[in-house]
Amino acid sequence: MAESEQLPVQSARDGNPAAWNALFRRYQLPLYAYVFELVHNEQQALDLVQETFIAAVKHIGGLRDDEKFGSWLFGIAHQKIIQFWRKRGGKELLLDEIPESPDELENQPDEFLIRREQETEFMELLNQLPLPQRSVLLLHFVEDFSLAEIARITETQTGTVKSRLHYAKKSLRTLLEKKNENAA
Amino acid sequence: MKTPREILLERHQAAAPKLDAIRHEIVNSKFRRGNFAVTIWNELIFPSRRIWAGLAAIWVVIFIFNFSQRDQSELMAKKFPSPEMISSFQQQEKLLAELIGPNEPRVAEPPKTILPQPRSERRFEILTA
Repeated sequence: MAESEQLPVQSARDGNPAAWNALFRRYQLPLYAYVFELVHNEQQALDLVQETFIAAVKHIGGLRDDEKFGSWLFGIAHQKIIQFWRKRGGKELLLDEIPESPDELENQPDEFLIRREQETEFMELLNQLPLPQRSVLLLHFVEDFSLAEIARITETQTGTVKSRLHYAKKSLRTLLEKKNENAA
Repeated sequence: MKTPREILLERHQAAAPKLDAIRHEIVNSKFRRGNFAVTIWNELIFPSRRIWAGLAAIWVVIFIFNFSQRDQSELMAKKFPSPEMISSFQQQEKLLAELIGPNEPRVAEPPKTILPQPRSERRFEILTA
């Protein structure tokens, strides 16, 4: 998991440029991938990553647990994305009506391996998911964040994250299976 | 077979040079000591760059509006007064002069001469009365 890595967070907090460089280099591509897949605009995604990094430098004093740097950074980016959607008049990220059914979610195979020929289809199907589900699934895929971490990043309940992840995976599997059947 | 993470990161690998540039810019500008202009840019202007751009646009509009108004007033000033207006104004002035009469300066009344009296004499007058 991302949070178990040894990251130079304390050194960055002390104002060491090399530590910030290492932290940003570690997270820049996953963060960009997450932001891009939610905004679908290269320049906007780059701007949001830049704003996230600037905010991280400014507010590092507010981070209490150094091991949670990754989820904290993604949380800043998530807030920036919500602001972006609000400016555009969209509310999809904030509201969705997925019923919570935790009992149903227990027996889920967690691995998701994609064949090379399915990569493009996988991305297309991922982008067909509603934004709240896509957001949760991306956080799970890109950094393998735990349910609690995703809940903290998206500022939602763990149960909500659990159900969103369940429905997102289910939808993705169903869509991939349909594609396979059609291909066969 | 690939994991979704591998697919996603490979898909966005092309953005890596731009992300490197952003990282270098932030690290260099944030921790470069003594550069006041860079600090102002990063902390004051850049976070609300759209608001600043909007304000700048408003000032440009105000400037253009002001400039165009000033041009019109200068043109108007060049146009006036026309010869017709000057002649009618002179006629009105003559008429007014006839009604009022010759405009001669009044002779001022000569100031009254008040001779100062010593206070000691005034007291003497009171005592004798």
